[in-house]
Amino acid sequence: MIIKANVKEALKSLVTAKQRTILALIGIVIGIGSVIGMVSIGTIVQNEALKQFRDMGIDIVSVTKDYERQGADEGFNIEHIYGLPDYSPLIKKVSPYIVSSTQYSYADKDFYIEIMGVSESFFDLNKLYVREGRLLSDLDRNRSFCVIGAETADILQKAGVKDILDRQFLFGERIYTVVGILKKLPEGGGMRPSGINRAVLTHITTAMRSFTTNDITTFMARVSAQDSKTAKTAIENYFGKKASGLSVRVRTAEELIAQMQKQIQLFTLLLGAIGSIALIVGGIGVMNVMLISVTERRKEIGIRRALGAQRSDIETQFIIESVTLCFVGGIIGIILGIIISYFFSHFSKWEFLISQSAIVLGFCVATAVGVFFGYYPARSASHLDPAAALRE
Amino acid sequence: MLRLTDIHKSYRVGPTTVDVLKGISLAVEKGELLSIIGPSGSGKSTLMNIMGLLEQPTEGTYSIEETKITYDDDRTLSSLRNKMIGFVFQQYHLLPRLTAIDNIGLPLIYRGISEKEIMERSMEYIKKVEMQERSRHKPTELSGGQQQRIAIARALVGNPALILADEPTGALDTHTGQEIMNLFKRLNEEEGITIVVITHDPKIAAQCRRKVELRDGIISG
Ligand SMILES: Nc1ncnc2c1ncn2[C@@H]1O[C@H](COP(=O)(O)OP(=O)(O)OP(=O)(O)O)[C@@H](O)[C@H]1O
Ligand SMILES: [Mg+2]
Repeated sequence: MIIKANVKEALKSLVTAKQRTILALIGIVIGIGSVIGMVSIGTIVQNEALKQFRDMGIDIVSVTKDYERQGADEGFNIEHIYGLPDYSPLIKKVSPYIVSSTQYSYADKDFYIEIMGVSESFFDLNKLYVREGRLLSDLDRNRSFCVIGAETADILQKAGVKDILDRQFLFGERIYTVVGILKKLPEGGGMRPSGINRAVLTHITTAMRSFTTNDITTFMARVSAQDSKTAKTAIENYFGKKASGLSVRVRTAEELIAQMQKQIQLFTLLLGAIGSIALIVGGIGVMNVMLISVTERRKEIGIRRALGAQRSDIETQFIIESVTLCFVGGIIGIILGIIISYFFSHFSKWEFLISQSAIVLGFCVATAVGVFFGYYPARSASHLDPAAALRE
Repeated sequence: MLRLTDIHKSYRVGPTTVDVLKGISLAVEKGELLSIIGPSGSGKSTLMNIMGLLEQPTEGTYSIEETKITYDDDRTLSSLRNKMIGFVFQQYHLLPRLTAIDNIGLPLIYRGISEKEIMERSMEYIKKVEMQERSRHKPTELSGGQQQRIAIARALVGNPALILADEPTGALDTHTGQEIMNLFKRLNEEEGITIVVITHDPKIAAQCRRKVELRDGIISG
């Protein structure tokens, strides 16, 4: 009954739209929102990193030619790439690929489509599976067969194409026969090249013949998981010898995860700073609101004391009131934090997650702020001289 | 029941001290209806605050039912106020945001009684002051006399041995004031509750069986 009455009292002061109450709550909202955003984004990145391990393993590296160096006009020589596993036993498998974008027209409508030239190993390294039909193999060398991504299939279907499998399509300059449709991939698969869902995959030899530019700028490799650092050095040394002037950049899964974490570090730091400052400002605001409330209700405190309220009863009453205020701010803040992390995951194309522990943390922080900043006003209320308050 | 022995009370006001009570000795027996009368500023309210454990005397001893009050533990004092004493004030001092019935139940919430029992007892006492028709009214929706009845019900709800009333009729017209006095007399006679009424109205004081006059901080009659 005491608690219920006190919560009601706090909500009343909020509903009667005391401006200072609302101002104080803005601080709490921003503070809790930032904290929730910070923790949620941490969880999103953590999840993304885990997904990297789960989806593709940590033994995949991606090798890109270094555009900033001299002689960067040329791409990799495909024979050099295929020679890598023989050079170092740490490199198990290689998979060069090239990408070119083109338009596909059907029934007077144009669609933007990416054509990727890949080898058989590409499907294995990227863990790609078919929904219908079959995958490409190295026996499809120079042949006009293709496998299409799940979204490409959807686009074609929406455009009105029936029976996609075994049908012929004019993609760019060439007619391809679709032999397989891939299963849909989740967004952002770490090492996996982006856009496979919206791509047309053909054999790399076919692609190199029909593309206008056929420089290979990237390839993937599976390396020995324990020695990814040594493998990285081996790849760099190999290309240093084989193609002087061509310098390469090797990215390992570990580096990718580290990079992701670095990317969010500044962001979380910023949110953490905003959050702490806002919480302090909001907390002081709440303290001010509570101090005014205590002053305005001196007589009430005196009456309650005369009727037998202990000091601790009065203290509890005002702490509950302050916690209730912060809780209301906390709820709005949690919603704000979820919105922040939603936009973050939306723009970084990482999977959105609502972290339950963040929500629990939000309520804990709100309660802590309420208790901490409500303590002083509540204490001064409980030490008020009842006789003096009743004389007023 | 109450025993005040050579009670002094002085206040510090800036550099000087004001002596309000200058040696009060007074005993109140169980079942008494006592009036304390005196001019404004004579220290009546101060005396009542001391009797009601809201203030600590500067000097002297105070005992309730043969137990000397030590003033060192706030919890004991609060608990005594809660269980032993019912206050009635000139300005009623009801909580404006609570309904009449909730105001009456206020002393009970500090006893850890269930909500249901609080409601039952509040209903019982609102009937005793014949205000049950107004139980859901806020204090501002009640007349002065009605508010004072609610305040009396609040003072009684905890079943105290002592009622301390500081000018309970001071804000009421003669007729309504008389009704409140009749209520006190009835409670005193029928239920044996000890009542101390502070007043500066001789007509009110005359209705009490015993009268104590306070003048300039000492008992003069
Ligand atoms: N906290 C205080 N500090 C200083 N002086 C005080 C304080 N409380 C009371 N006094 C003084 O003590 C004196 C007696 O006050 P008290 O309220 O007891 O008088 P009273 O007899 O109840 O008068 P009234 O009939 O007007 O209510 C007054 O002069 C008042 O100014
Ligand atoms: Mg007075």
